[in-house]
Amino acid sequence: MSEKQQDLLGLGRLEYLQALVTEFQVTESSEAKEQVLANLANFAYDPKNYDYLRQLKVLDLFLDTLTEDNDTLVEFALGGLCNLCLDKINKDYILEADGVAAVINCLSCSNEETVMSAVTALMYLTTPQSRQQITALPVVECMLRFSLSANRRLSNLATIFLEDYCSPLQVEEARNLTKHTALGIPLPKN
Amino acid sequence: MAAASEGSSGGEVGGVYQHHAQREVCASRAKYREGRRPRAVKVYTINLESRYLLIQGVPALGVMKELVEQFALYGTIEEYNPLDDYPAEEFTEVYLIKFQKIQSARVAKRKLDERSFFGSLLHVCYAPEFETVQETREKLQDRRKYIAKVTCCKDQLQVKKQNLNTCFKKTFQPDAPAFHTPEVATNTWNLPTYVPDPQQSPCYKLPLRNTASVSKECCQSTLIAPQFTRDCAEASEYCSQKTPTPQSMHRGTCNIPAHCSLQRKFACDKGLNRFMPRTTQLQERKRRRDEGTKFALIGKDINNTEIIIGPRLPEVPKIDMDDESLNTSASLIRNKLKEVTHPVQAPELPAENSQTKPTVKQRRRI
Repeated sequence: MSEKQQDLLGLGRLEYLQALVTEFQVTESSEAKEQVLANLANFAYDPKNYDYLRQLKVLDLFLDTLTEDNDTLVEFALGGLCNLCLDKINKDYILEADGVAAVINCLSCSNEETVMSAVTALMYLTTPQSRQQITALPVVECMLRFSLSANRRLSNLATIFLEDYCSPLQVEEARNLTKHTALGIPLPKN
Repeated sequence: MAAASEGSSGGEVGGVYQHHAQREVCASRAKYREGRRPRAVKVYTINLESRYLLIQGVPALGVMKELVEQFALYGTIEEYNPLDDYPAEEFTEVYLIKFQKIQSARVAKRKLDERSFFGSLLHVCYAPEFETVQETREKLQDRRKYIAKVTCCKDQLQVKKQNLNTCFKKTFQPDAPAFHTPEVATNTWNLPTYVPDPQQSPCYKLPLRNTASVSKECCQSTLIAPQFTRDCAEASEYCSQKTPTPQSMHRGTCNIPAHCSLQRKFACDKGLNRFMPRTTQLQERKRRRDEGTKFALIGKDINNTEIIIGPRLPEVPKIDMDDESLNTSASLIRNKLKEVTHPVQAPELPAENSQTKPTVKQRRRI
């Protein structure tokens, strides 16, 4: 009985997610798009949904949306990626699709939430294979700047990134580089 | 009619999702998105969550204690303090509450956000900006651990399954290869049922059976108490009435204590539950002592006590067996042992002869 109900619920969940994905692809309204994407990104928080989300190619949907012009869409898509990228299958999929580069690009966004999601997602996507790409010099440099941010949340995340994911040598190198260049990625706006 | 409505409702359950799903769901979703939180279309990530909750809209009535009590319902609170500098509406205060666990904060937020509190609506939100670097680090690690646990459980289910199977093979292969059919191997949920009974019960029955065969008919049904008492009585009968050769007598003494300990277990369990006034206890003890001397006298005509001086057996404590027949047989055995180890006292001899036969009858009656 309960198993049947669960099956029904499971089916319902998949159908519901399918409806969201369909609406996201079909709708012309950017507002509806945002709302639906937020919905999907929140579903990505719960590991129970991962099978469905993979089935519906929501990972691709998130990754594709990272290149949209709409800031809010990028924020939500990155939030979704940040939510589901700890799962090993999802992580492998994102790494395979070169999601790291797309996420690194988002570090220069002006939206704080996006940037924070990006920092966390990068930490969660770090594997022996992806480490080199994730702790590339420009990224470490960026993190150094973030670690000085007035936003406590951002500075905390950047500090963790520098302390736990980078070698002291890398940090030192990036520090030397920032000393000599006046250029830098602007801090995200509030 | 009832059947029809049942059928239709059953169809609806599937139907909402199957056929009308999209429209229905779309409609409800639109309503949900517009209706519930018109302002905030928000994506919650681990960055946004926190053990720190910010509570706005607390009426400035000096109700901090009540507020904290309200939140403490959802988990241990590590710290709490009013945020005097935080911009607040007039006559309201803002509080910061730090939970020990993020899960408590989640539940508290869900339950208490937009709740009426002393005539004002609370607004509860996460406040990760109050986290230290270390706290943020732990939060991220906890999320990592949680996902690893949840997803690994799924993945490792199969590994565990295999381990389980090999485990079963190790233990049970000699006994029953039939249990390792592929069907069982693939079906985890049935495995536990194989663990307890069918295989193992013979194993622990075996030693019992062995003892039974050793001590012959007198303890064949050791596990069934009422029968057992009768058997015991019989056993004692055998011991006392047979004219035993030293050998058989020796065997008897060896076996009986084993019964006694078993018997005692049963009796103790029963007897512990029962209260008996001290006077009754004393009377009972006296009665038993009397009985004991009677039985001691019966055994007296077996005169080979001096011959059997084996290893001294552990003394059986005198316990009220709760059951008259058990008491009788216990005291009988006790006295038998006493008799075997100690020579019988002389003064009791005269009375004994006249009592021998009636006591035997008494015992039978029991």
